[in-house]
Amino acid sequence: MRKFNILKTLFGILLLVFLLAACNTNDDGATKDNSDGGDSSGNEAASDIEVVFIPKMTGNAFFESGNNGAQAMAEEIGFKVKYDGAPEGTVANQVQIINSAVSSGADAIAISSVTSDGLNQALQNALDAGVKVVTWDSDVDPEYRTAYINQGTPEILGAMLVDMAAEQMDDPNAEQQVAWFYSSPTVPDQNSWVDYAETYIAEKYPNWEIVTKQFGEGDEQLSLQIGESIIDSYPDLDAVIAPDSTALPAMAQAAENKGLTAEDIIITGFASPNSMRQFIENGTILNHGLWDVTDQGALAVYIAYYLAQGNELKVGDTVDVPNIGEVTVEPNSVQGYDYEAEDSGIIVLPERIVFTKHNTNDFDF
Amino acid sequence: MLAKIPKWNLMLGIILIAEIIIFGLINPRFLNITILLNSFNDFIGIAIIAFFVTFVVITGGIDISGGSIIGLTSVVIGILSQVIGINIWVSIILAILVGGLCGLLNGILIAYGRVQAMVITLGGMLLYSGVAIVLVGFSGVSTYEGISGFPQAFTNLAYGKLLGIPHSVLLFFIMFAIAFVLLYWTRYGRYIYLTGINQHAAEYAGIHTRKIIASTYVLSGLSAGVAGVMLTSYLGSARADFGAEYLMPILTVVVLGGTLITGGKGGVVGTALASIIVGFLQIGLQMGGVSTQYIGLATGLLLIISAAFLGISADFKSNIKRIVSPQKNSV
Repeated sequence: MRKFNILKTLFGILLLVFLLAACNTNDDGATKDNSDGGDSSGNEAASDIEVVFIPKMTGNAFFESGNNGAQAMAEEIGFKVKYDGAPEGTVANQVQIINSAVSSGADAIAISSVTSDGLNQALQNALDAGVKVVTWDSDVDPEYRTAYINQGTPEILGAMLVDMAAEQMDDPNAEQQVAWFYSSPTVPDQNSWVDYAETYIAEKYPNWEIVTKQFGEGDEQLSLQIGESIIDSYPDLDAVIAPDSTALPAMAQAAENKGLTAEDIIITGFASPNSMRQFIENGTILNHGLWDVTDQGALAVYIAYYLAQGNELKVGDTVDVPNIGEVTVEPNSVQGYDYEAEDSGIIVLPERIVFTKHNTNDFDF
Repeated sequence: MLAKIPKWNLMLGIILIAEIIIFGLINPRFLNITILLNSFNDFIGIAIIAFFVTFVVITGGIDISGGSIIGLTSVVIGILSQVIGINIWVSIILAILVGGLCGLLNGILIAYGRVQAMVITLGGMLLYSGVAIVLVGFSGVSTYEGISGFPQAFTNLAYGKLLGIPHSVLLFFIMFAIAFVLLYWTRYGRYIYLTGINQHAAEYAGIHTRKIIASTYVLSGLSAGVAGVMLTSYLGSARADFGAEYLMPILTVVVLGGTLITGGKGGVVGTALASIIVGFLQIGLQMGGVSTQYIGLATGLLLIISAAFLGISADFKSNIKRIVSPQKNSV
């Protein structure tokens, strides 16, 4: 009886491993289409290169869209991309994923980091093992990566937020009450945008008054409650700017619950078009913005692949990326870093998009 | 009692060997001993807490506050050494003691307050992670960033090697040895089993069962403190949210190790094997090209298949009978 049990167990485990191996979507079929870039001095065939694409967490629409772009790029060029993230975005999970990427012989990683410093040691180990490191969406300490695929500098995105609100006002130079609403007082990227936006407001629209800053902690329920309390607490509020993919839909939902439309209160910010389309179509909001996250994912894995081929990237270099165009490596100072090195720079996405009812249906992410 | 346990452990041993062979066939790099030993870093925290949570579960209790104690310990090390400026090694000892204090609080309330272990440790879990976040606020860094800037000697705790063996592997075996000796070679260990089998009978036999129960929570808290030190060293910064995702993995390896959640039966050998199995399963599947988000599926299947086998083993049934049947306490 016991032997029989052990056999069954072994069989069960075997079955389980093969079942899981079948989940693996990587197509190992060797693609003959070696990279189209005539300028690539790479010495490895494209199909031998594996890039591990790491989101902050899985199951979030933003990161899944980034992965769609990454996979499409990989398929087109013919290298491999493994999407590897944990459902909970924690430092320990990301470190574990980086370690296993290094162990399993990946050539490069492209990561959206959950922390500005907690991955340093793991990334150093990756670099020591010859793995190329690229960050996207959310950066790490610039010492530990070659390139950061940036959605936009604080100047670009901060000004964009203010302009999206201003263009909806009858007279942006008149007195306006404005509220900020985003994820948390500690998140680096959103705070850097808002900080710049406030200097921009002080210069361009000195009559605007910032009445409150609220934080939804990335939590949908909490964000909805806060959105409703903003409307209740500030009856004369003219605009809410929400540069956060959880806060903006929640704010729009709160306005809709209160029966308000874009005529009564201006709501704008950053979120994916799929999450905002219903609010644009029913007139709750008129516009919102984002960058094309599918392009960001595609660009991140392409740059990782480009480096893994043995190419060098120096500040000032340009790379011709299929479907995206030419991108330039800028110095780290554009993001406000002090660390300057030849082989560490920032690539800013070429474009950001403002979504309105005229173009929201052209996008699917 | 002891004669019955090895059967389950034998099965775990076979699963582990099968795992290594299968993953080795899928990706030969998996058989690289350096990679296998380094992977201990990623589950060491789970394993060392699970050793002592095994004690708690044998007494019939449960401790789910371990993950939060990791975060609290981590923050305490960061604040003591980086903000107040105490010597790093003294900070480590104090931080581990803080972990022990958390365990003591749990243990006293459960053993002497007669409150259900699940309720207290759930409250503890929320309380300790809350305290950790408040403490980070005092340190002047944002909760998002964590406290960093530890000396190299501290980072070496996790990344160092002794005779080519990573420190995390050594720590695993040291903690395992402590747990093993306590549980199998001392009277204390026997009392833990007896308390779990029947607390009233043990009490009449002259065992201070409440002390025994409280002490298991202290050990569990101390081990969470050690795990917090290791994780802080490994990740190079102190953060309040470290260990938050360890709750279920800890319980997983305890029950996969063959310890009955109802108490009275189990052991740390099974827990040790189970933690290695789960750890290798994760890295093996990742190296086989499976994405991390599917690994829970594998662990869940493994657990359910194993539990099903445990369910049809005869001594499990007799145990259940013994636990479920009404106790006749003649006074």
